[in-house]
Amino acid sequence: MLAGCGSSAPARPAAPAGYDFPALSGRVVDAANLLPASSRTTITQELAALEQRTGHQFVVVTVPGLGGHTIEDYGVTLGRTWGIGRKGVNDGVLLVVAPVERKVRIEVGYGLERALRDEEARTIIDSAILPAFRARDFPRGIAAGVDGVIREISPSERLAA
Amino acid sequence: MSYRVFFALTSAVALSACGLNSVPTAEENAKARWADVQNNYQRRADLIPNLVATVKAAGAQEKSILVEVTQARASASQVKISGADLTDPAKVAAYEQAQSGVTLSLQRLQEAYPELKSQGNYTTLMSQLEGTENRIVIARKDYNDAVQAYNTRIRTFPDAIGAKVFYGAKPMVPFQATTPGAETAPTVNFGNAS
Repeated sequence: MLAGCGSSAPARPAAPAGYDFPALSGRVVDAANLLPASSRTTITQELAALEQRTGHQFVVVTVPGLGGHTIEDYGVTLGRTWGIGRKGVNDGVLLVVAPVERKVRIEVGYGLERALRDEEARTIIDSAILPAFRARDFPRGIAAGVDGVIREISPSERLAA
Repeated sequence: MSYRVFFALTSAVALSACGLNSVPTAEENAKARWADVQNNYQRRADLIPNLVATVKAAGAQEKSILVEVTQARASASQVKISGADLTDPAKVAAYEQAQSGVTLSLQRLQEAYPELKSQGNYTTLMSQLEGTENRIVIARKDYNDAVQAYNTRIRTFPDAIGAKVFYGAKPMVPFQATTPGAETAPTVNFGNAS
């Protein structure tokens, strides 16, 4: 009689409807084509070194469009869908650049919020990234943003700073 | 005799898929997500005294909005909700309304002091506030998703059996984004009938 009570655990959908996410192809996902191959390689190496040193996963992504979402919403959903950062530690960081909407966002996992605070993220965006972006120099802005974030979330460099 | 044992064992196994575990799990999950919502609102409330002090310290002209923000914060902190209240639409609505009073007053405070935008401490607090507002949005969405999962579970077969028979489970109330018309309301009623 109760045989019909089979457990039916619904699996969490990979990407929620309405979001058009690029594939997670590496540490630098340049879907908007803003970076020359050389800076892609350099940044990828930096990010790999960061993960080796600290365990934190940091992914840089440029997107051709946000599909009508706010960059905050897009960033969080993308980070969750991709599963950036270690489970349980929640120490992923995303740098999202949307050139068409002229938006930049640094998305920080709960586990790193103490190391990279809102106002620090804001300072990195305002003083390192945006000046270069305004000069249409995306590679320089992204590289500066990556350096700024790495400086904040690396314990040793934080002490030295 | 052994048949009876066998029957007891099999029905225990079969019943476990009827919501005996999954219903309370889903309920606890929704309550935990609610705790996140409240923590983030608390975090925002904690920023407000600093913000008011910073505006005053910056030597800006004191405006009535400073009092309003403080009052909205004070009256919102009196509206508390426990996990058990989450099935009560009136209580959830009251909480939501109190918090959106704070949201509105903070928006107006920001508009009232455009000249402070580039002032160091103020900028820091504003980016913390903005970050907190973002976290509130996420926490609210997560809570609503958890509530939806729970409500669906207790209303659909087979978990509805366990939910009804063993727990008398009631649906939980999702958290609305804003009170209808809140965005357009020019003044905020702080609930003290002034």
